[in-house]
Amino acid sequence: MLIHILRYKLLSYIKSTFDRKPSSIVRGIASLLVFGGFAYTAYLFSAEVTRYMLAHAHTGLYLFHTFVSMILFVFFVAVNLGNIIVSYSTLYRSMEVRFLLTKPISFTSIFILKFLDNFFYSSTTLFLGAFMMFLGYGSYFNYPLHFLVVIMLFVFVPFMFLSASLAGLILMAIMKLAGKIGFKKVLAGIFIIYLFFVYIFFEKSNPTMLVENLNRFIPDIDAYISQMVPGFLHYLPNQWVAEFLYYSARGDMAHALPYAGILITVTAVVFGACLFVAHRFYYKSWLISLQVQPSAEISHRRRHIFDFRSKSIFSPQVEVLLKKEILTFLRETSQWVHLLVMVALAGIFSVSASHINLMRARVIDLHMIIYLVLFTFGGFMISGLALRFVFPMIGLEGQAFWSLKTSPVKQSKIFQLKFIMGFLLILIVAEYITISSSVPFIRATGGSRMLIWFGVFNAFWISFTTVMLSLGFGGYFANYFEHNPIRAASTQGATLTFLITIIYLILIVIVIIVPVSALFSKGITDRYSSEALITLPGALLAFVSGVLSVFGWIIGQRSLKKDF
Amino acid sequence: MIELEGVTKKFGNFTAVDNLTFTIPQGEFFGFLGPNGAGKTTTIKMIVGLYAPDSGDIIVNGNNIRSNPIEAKQSIGYVPDIPFLYEKLTGREFLYMIGGLFKIQKSVLHESITGLIEHFEIGDWVDKRTEEYSQGMKQRITIAAALIHNPKTIIIDEPLIGLDPRSAKIVREILQQQSRNGVSILMSTHSLAFAEELCDRIGIINNGRLVMCETREQLKVEKAKYDGNFESVFLEITRQ
Repeated sequence: MLIHILRYKLLSYIKSTFDRKPSSIVRGIASLLVFGGFAYTAYLFSAEVTRYMLAHAHTGLYLFHTFVSMILFVFFVAVNLGNIIVSYSTLYRSMEVRFLLTKPISFTSIFILKFLDNFFYSSTTLFLGAFMMFLGYGSYFNYPLHFLVVIMLFVFVPFMFLSASLAGLILMAIMKLAGKIGFKKVLAGIFIIYLFFVYIFFEKSNPTMLVENLNRFIPDIDAYISQMVPGFLHYLPNQWVAEFLYYSARGDMAHALPYAGILITVTAVVFGACLFVAHRFYYKSWLISLQVQPSAEISHRRRHIFDFRSKSIFSPQVEVLLKKEILTFLRETSQWVHLLVMVALAGIFSVSASHINLMRARVIDLHMIIYLVLFTFGGFMISGLALRFVFPMIGLEGQAFWSLKTSPVKQSKIFQLKFIMGFLLILIVAEYITISSSVPFIRATGGSRMLIWFGVFNAFWISFTTVMLSLGFGGYFANYFEHNPIRAASTQGATLTFLITIIYLILIVIVIIVPVSALFSKGITDRYSSEALITLPGALLAFVSGVLSVFGWIIGQRSLKKDF
Repeated sequence: MIELEGVTKKFGNFTAVDNLTFTIPQGEFFGFLGPNGAGKTTTIKMIVGLYAPDSGDIIVNGNNIRSNPIEAKQSIGYVPDIPFLYEKLTGREFLYMIGGLFKIQKSVLHESITGLIEHFEIGDWVDKRTEEYSQGMKQRITIAAALIHNPKTIIIDEPLIGLDPRSAKIVREILQQQSRNGVSILMSTHSLAFAEELCDRIGIINNGRLVMCETREQLKVEKAKYDGNFESVFLEITRQ
């Protein structure tokens, strides 16, 4: 039965993906180019970072793999949280599940179908990115291709599958608890637990502390560093992957293979547990989900801040469009919960960045590299936020969009309002990240403002452009039948948009290298006089951003004029 | 008043609406009939601005829907065939939202919505989110929303889908009242009896072309040619 349904799902996917319309072929070629560019960039980036860290910075194999472990931890948590949120929509809210429940199919089969649906639907790009990163990483060690394929299949895939299986278990536990104490309390509890866990991980595996202690053991770094890794880290799957890679890099497969074995075994056990719980509890939890949805009745006597009856400073059209956007966002649990999670992650990043002690890194070049890394990571976070919350804005209007499209309101006004709302949200987060990540550089150099102003200027344009591109492409790729915002933000169109914004970010980094290096080499002082060095790249940045924004605007406007 | 002049709409190689021309004068109740896939909904979607015609002109109350869409839409009340609503809004909020889009003053809107809630008998559930509504409830909200700005023209696609007899009666009475008030109505329906009872003129579309357009009196003559039933006329005309 499972194979039978999977076959038709695959057929449906192939038919909808590979149609022969000229527009689809052009779109396919464009996607291929962007995906190819992304894959190659990921490969180059990974190869260069590995080479720089090991050959130039002489980090040492173990420390390097400790950093890999940290990245894998963030990845694990992100995949886990993402799967919890997406699974809630697909396992409990989807029409397909309602349809399948009326057919003679076991609940476990339905669970497996939707679980795999989630896993592969939202992870295709991750797999591509991860594989290319592994290729780049492996090129430093001259690994053969087949070895990297084996790493992907037997280490990385189980690693992700473990994260997704845990998400399935946690979600069913959430449903069980929600049936007893309410949905909001459980969500708040889970949110606090995750934040606490992330905090503890980075507190205990503090990279700065690790590097500081390391100096005492030079030159036998690898021999001693493993002793400094806190014991609990050895029980985390990211550490197993990192240890596998570390021992493989040393050519010590006898030590490497047990870590792969542990990972595969634990993944199999957790997935088995997930299926067992699903077999016993999935249908019950589905029934619970019907009862625990937030109260749908709203008292018309009590007026709230976004009540349509209240007076407003805006024109009637702007007022109702704004209120509609805000209310539909706040009443969709997966929207505000995910926003909270992402803002909290941005907060953790900003707080961590603002506490970096640059006095330890006395080399100016290193200052600049740290600044650029923080800048890129901040930009990456902004692109992620724009993709998740701005890209689906037009598509989420859904079939109810007829009510706006047949009303006497300009389509451009709808687009502008959506843009302004998305832009304000992203801009606030972007400026916060920029300012807080500039703090250590100001502290290190005795208080310059130039770097902050330059960062604020860049953050403005990056926010403006990523939001415009995300909204425009979101309109172009809009699927008005998709109700799930997370799925809408993981479609092929969304991935393409994300990759375009990443290419834009790389362009921006190239443009700002000259002024940033000039700023750092002059000691980041306010007396910095060579204005041309900063105004020219600034103008170039604004020009590139402006051109891309106009492109996003045109695409968005055209998409709204398409037949509905 | 609605005027269609040589309107054509194609989807790839398929011609959904083929050189369609007809006029609905102010105050006329026009029934728009046809078999499944004949082009009724496509025509309606072009009139309200959801589809762009490939050729031809559509004038609604003196305004071309393509060159003056805002002015044209201001005078239209549209009820779609499937009443999709914003699921996270309540019925009352949806009505206020539509009122705001038509720039109706708050005090006037408040009175209008109170009247509509009473008229459509939706007071018991209008403050629940629409995700809780049945098809009939949603249909009543969309019809109420179409009337909120006192439109000169009502375009209604399959008004009876999902309605119980009581709701159907309410809708029938409202449409009759609007017609008496001089509102021109274009109603697409599969219910021949409903069309026969309410409409001043009936047009039948088949394969994208208008194959019959008769007044009530002319229809009687047509019916007499067969067995006196409108169904027989319809089946014969749409045979191909």
